[in-house]
Amino acid sequence: MATAERRLDRLVASGPALLALALGVFPLLVLFVESLGPGLGPANYAEALSPLYRGALTYSIGVGVAVTVVCLLIAYPVTYWLAHRCPARYRLVGLVALTLPLWLNYVVLNYAWVWILARSGVVNAVLVNAGILGQPLEVLYTEVSMALGFVYIYLPYVVLTMYVSMERLDQRLMAAARDLGATNLRVFVDVILPRTLPGAAAATLIVYARIAGAFATPEILGSPGNVMVARLVVQAVREYINYGFAAALSFVFLVAVLASLAVGALFPRVRRELRQW
Amino acid sequence: MVTSLAQLSERGAGRFPGVVVALTLAFLYGPVLVVGYLSLSPTAQPTIPLDALSLRWYGEIAQNTRFVRSLVNSLVIGVAAAVGGTGLGLAGAYTITRSQLSATARRGLALVIALPLFVPTVVVAFGIGRASAIAGLGFGYLPVILGHLFWVLPFTTFLLAARYAELDDALSAAAADLGANRQTVFRTVTLPLLRPALTASALFAFALSFNEFLITFFLAGSSVTTVPLEIFGKVRIGATAFLNAASVVVLLISAVAAGAASALRKPV
Repeated sequence: MATAERRLDRLVASGPALLALALGVFPLLVLFVESLGPGLGPANYAEALSPLYRGALTYSIGVGVAVTVVCLLIAYPVTYWLAHRCPARYRLVGLVALTLPLWLNYVVLNYAWVWILARSGVVNAVLVNAGILGQPLEVLYTEVSMALGFVYIYLPYVVLTMYVSMERLDQRLMAAARDLGATNLRVFVDVILPRTLPGAAAATLIVYARIAGAFATPEILGSPGNVMVARLVVQAVREYINYGFAAALSFVFLVAVLASLAVGALFPRVRRELRQW
Repeated sequence: MVTSLAQLSERGAGRFPGVVVALTLAFLYGPVLVVGYLSLSPTAQPTIPLDALSLRWYGEIAQNTRFVRSLVNSLVIGVAAAVGGTGLGLAGAYTITRSQLSATARRGLALVIALPLFVPTVVVAFGIGRASAIAGLGFGYLPVILGHLFWVLPFTTFLLAARYAELDDALSAAAADLGANRQTVFRTVTLPLLRPALTASALFAFALSFNEFLITFFLAGSSVTTVPLEIFGKVRIGATAFLNAASVVVLLISAVAAGAASALRKPV
């Protein structure tokens, strides 16, 4: 009986296990072997780490960090309002409204910004017609439009992750601090920040790597001059058919991302916040 | 609403958080509404403000065989990912929470399933593309569907595992006491209790697959096209009223799937 049950459990586990091994582990092994070829040497890694590509790597990580910080700055007041100010019966609706874009197509969502920011787009039409601007702003296809596109896509992830720890924060602590004469700033620094920091760290871990490795947003809204890692990988694969170099670049990027994830996962409180993902 | 906001603002940081929420909602939904408005342009190149409103471009997308084909492909792949991803996710969730396999095996399975969450998507996509070429699968429907199954698996597995863990063991124990074997317990007790979570999982998996871009970009080859690929290709040529109408259709389909799923499951 017990062995029959275990055999059945093994059969059940084999489905998802085979898929995850065949499409998760095997491809990483393939890429690792290709990154060493031809001749099983470090030549591809030397190229991937040359100053030319190192610039794109640090730029990608810099964009990832900067956009994450902006998302956190917005998510703090938003989740605070939702968890502690919003009337309870509107809270779920509010959370769904703020996180629904998670499930919408990011290619389409980024495309929408073309119409907001273009030379003949909404912002320019309104500002020029109102006489506020003499001539249209040229913000589309710059770092500004790319950053807006990133915040637009990733803010809902940060809000959803932050909300969990903001909801857990005990209102009485804030009330007590205010009764004792604390200003808003002191309440934020001494009460809110220490207790929501794990949530903020978890949100950072979730979005920063996705931003740093993004392909579609810089292609749709960015400038051709701002080269991020994903475009280099795609170019190496599709235009130069240089799989070895693309694989080495992928691994360098993967290691950089995993290293930062590992640092975050060392803290048990951060790990707990990540569980919902 | 205004009076309640005013009352609320007496506490804490005043109006500031409420104002940020209002601005955030405008930020999130403004661009979508603009695209919706500009899809009603009578001309191919909308001028702001529109001179007249027309549904012409919705007719055009219905008659555009390339777009309709990509939509059908996306729907078929999405349904395959929803059904297959939920089935595999159920097997994964059962293994992680209830199976009699060793703790190491269960934790190992959770880890490999979670892989696409922490490996950058461009690396996942490129890796699957190379692995598919080496395995002789090449490009096309089969690699795309497998890629999407892998992409949705962590979401379906962890959603169902959370629900599995909440199930009351006493119910299945009672059924077993009454003489039901494991298959009967699963079919008559566990499955009905999991049904809302299974539906939510299938809808979320559909939305994830319907919107997936990068993995498809690496696996589709030249013969298969999906809606995100089609729109990405057109966006780079230029913004048009046709593209706006196509965008609205895509957003509506995914919003309906995700909205229905959210109604079945609390977001957190």
